[in-house]
Amino acid sequence: MKRSTLAEFLGPIVALVIIVGVVAVTTPNFLATANFQNIALQAAVLSIVAIGSTVVILTGGIDLSPGSMIALITMALAAMIKLDGWGLMLAIPAALAIGGALGAVNGFLVAYLRIPAFIVTLAGLSALKGIALTIGGGTPIVSLSPNLETLFYGQVLGIPLPFIYVLVLYALAVFTLNHTKFGREIYAIGGNEAAARLSGIKVKRVRLLAFVIAGVCAGIGGVLLAARLNSGSPNYGTLIELQAIAAAVVGGASLAGGRGHVFNTLIGVLIITVVQNGLNLNAVSPAVQSIAIGLIILLAVTLDLWRGHLSRILRAQFTRTPALATPAKGL
Amino acid sequence: MTVHAQRAVPLWSLQDICKGFPGVQANNHIDIDLPAGEIHGLLGENGCGKSTLIKILSGVQQPDSGRILHNGREVTFDGPGAARREGIATVYQEFSLIPHLTVAENISMGRHPRRRGGLMVDWRAVTAEAQRILGQLGLEIDPAARVTDLSVAEQQLVEIAKALSQDATLLILDEPTTALGQEEIVALHRLLRRMKESGVGILYISHRLDEVVELVDSFTVLKDGRVVSAAGQTRLDVDEIVTRMIGSDISEHFPKEDNTRDEVVLTVRGARTAHRVADVSFDLRRGEVLGLGGVIGSGRTEIARAVFGADRLLAGEVTLDGRRLRLRGPADAIAAGIALVPENRKTEGLFFNFAAGPNITMAHLRGVTRGPLFDHRREDRVCVDYIDDLAITPSARTKLVNLISGGNQQKVLIARWLFSDSRIVILDEPTQGIDVGAKLAVYRLINDLTRAGKSVILISSAHNELIAMSDRIAIVKHGRVTDIRPAHEVSPTDLVSATEAAHHDIAAVAAVQKSEVLS
Repeated sequence: MKRSTLAEFLGPIVALVIIVGVVAVTTPNFLATANFQNIALQAAVLSIVAIGSTVVILTGGIDLSPGSMIALITMALAAMIKLDGWGLMLAIPAALAIGGALGAVNGFLVAYLRIPAFIVTLAGLSALKGIALTIGGGTPIVSLSPNLETLFYGQVLGIPLPFIYVLVLYALAVFTLNHTKFGREIYAIGGNEAAARLSGIKVKRVRLLAFVIAGVCAGIGGVLLAARLNSGSPNYGTLIELQAIAAAVVGGASLAGGRGHVFNTLIGVLIITVVQNGLNLNAVSPAVQSIAIGLIILLAVTLDLWRGHLSRILRAQFTRTPALATPAKGL
Repeated sequence: MTVHAQRAVPLWSLQDICKGFPGVQANNHIDIDLPAGEIHGLLGENGCGKSTLIKILSGVQQPDSGRILHNGREVTFDGPGAARREGIATVYQEFSLIPHLTVAENISMGRHPRRRGGLMVDWRAVTAEAQRILGQLGLEIDPAARVTDLSVAEQQLVEIAKALSQDATLLILDEPTTALGQEEIVALHRLLRRMKESGVGILYISHRLDEVVELVDSFTVLKDGRVVSAAGQTRLDVDEIVTRMIGSDISEHFPKEDNTRDEVVLTVRGARTAHRVADVSFDLRRGEVLGLGGVIGSGRTEIARAVFGADRLLAGEVTLDGRRLRLRGPADAIAAGIALVPENRKTEGLFFNFAAGPNITMAHLRGVTRGPLFDHRREDRVCVDYIDDLAITPSARTKLVNLISGGNQQKVLIARWLFSDSRIVILDEPTQGIDVGAKLAVYRLINDLTRAGKSVILISSAHNELIAMSDRIAIVKHGRVTDIRPAHEVSPTDLVSATEAAHHDIAAVAAVQKSEVLS
């Protein structure tokens, strides 16, 4: 990818600042410390899942399976702890490994058998939910372990642990995507798969790894969710895949692949979470919240698409040269 | 044709056209007359303002000032639809056909004949209409065939048929031959001559100067948005046009150097792939340029892909410096020092989501990483170095590569393989669709490579170029190498082999007869 410029980040951050400002003014309790912690908690699982979604989207793929994967992973984790009596130090890595393995299955089907990612992960969305329902008779498994919550939701130096997890994982994601060979290969495949292959990039392997990353992210998200609620349920994670994709898109990622920045996905997650939080505090019904999120996605993509055009028109106004009817391609 | 031109009001006329964009005056007081029954060539390097002028004439863009006259009457186009209705048909470089629909559906796209009160498409009429047009043009293409199943050349002809189906009085062709082989170009030109005789005006844009000289009745040369020269046929001369286009005198088009040494570096023996390559064997010497000649579809590109590991070898072997290569994919070939600049820059070469830097380093990322870490600063230095060395436009450093010209894009692609320090460089149609100045730069690069002891496999459908720039030429037919000879012993007619040429002529005669019967 192109070297990151400030302008790339400016749009989403300005949008976030405006939204925070509007919500702060209109909602009395918004600025309370407790509310911020609440937002951080709400955003933690989504933002981690969204890392995986962004990586897959950057390769030009899509992943619809994390929601069902999370349901399955919380149930598997709960079953291992509660029914099989596994210790946390064994059950948690096992849950993450399940996520990675499921991601590998997705990746294998997409990269090596060339089934479109949309189809593979749509099938996963359905099938994994089904598997989650077969564990423990399909009913939630509760009261897993008293240690689970303190392990993940304690504080270090007054900072809530989930907050630290998110920062560390995003730092890792930014580093990987923008400062390693693997990251460059992800962007290259999203930009032009045929050219990537002819440049010596092992396209299948990279694609597979992208889905493994998405699976591990869903695994981490599943463990965090199970820990917070101290339970596993086949209903956990429902629709989180769509929110994660929305966050990536709101942050400016192109679903065609090759364009976007994972840090902006975090901004996208915050935009969505803050809007939801604000509407919640104002006792707006979930139906209206849903509509609001839909409008945000549309608005974000529209602004992104027309950004170049708008700035050209503005510049033309200021410099008094005629505005263009169409972009000046290949004069 | 002089009857039309003298004193009579031209069919179409551009007068004093100006069009500016921020930072550049793309068209600067341009006048062109396009009489009925004439083919007019529009020439100039990339960036000279040709595309803008075409866009203005086809209604895609509006001029800042100036007039467009149709039979002496001023017309204004507020969009492409208006220009079409006025009788202007444009065939762009990029195809506008929809691949999974049939030829007939594509030809009447957007104005399918209806029946039952306009509710249903009259498919029989669609097919009949397509048959009529294809027949008029003497094209033997099945109206029921899907566009994806046609060769690129046939698609180009369908594109022209589609444009003509709209009762055009002026046909604009923007680089119509980039995808065509020599034979198809001949067929296209025959078609255009027949069309001009029926009174259509044609504006023809091409980089292939030799073909323009053969075809056009008059021409205009643009440079930096201005008309630098305009003349009728008597004054057409390739050297003169080239000089005017690039603004400096060049004595030769092909600055060939002979750098061949005795040592054989690459041998291919009995290579066979699932994609047309059948029992191909040849040697490549150090510093040599081996040309692959033959018509489009003969298997030249596929041979290149086999050597590069892009298509799997079913039989045979590729040996580099006496060491047999295990080619499981392009990555293995690249690791061994083989490079491929593919025929299709856009779909197989460039990453449009990156500026020049990442496009250049892509095949050799280890050259810009320190351990696991990417060194962005080093990548930028590499980029700047190649921009200087190859005279790439400086804006390529920050602009995404889809925003730079074709010639600059090709240089970026070649830079990719210079940076990866490949020893065998395969160039598949390296000068296709780029301007004269950039072509010269490519030829000089070939010399630089061979002088440095590297070897080149050159594929080109421009016969003069292939013969002039190669040391030896392997003639490819039906996926086989039928003959390998020193380049100076090869004539253009050898490249279109005897049997195929004969077959082609029979087809052409049949097509002419058919069209006469139909019209």
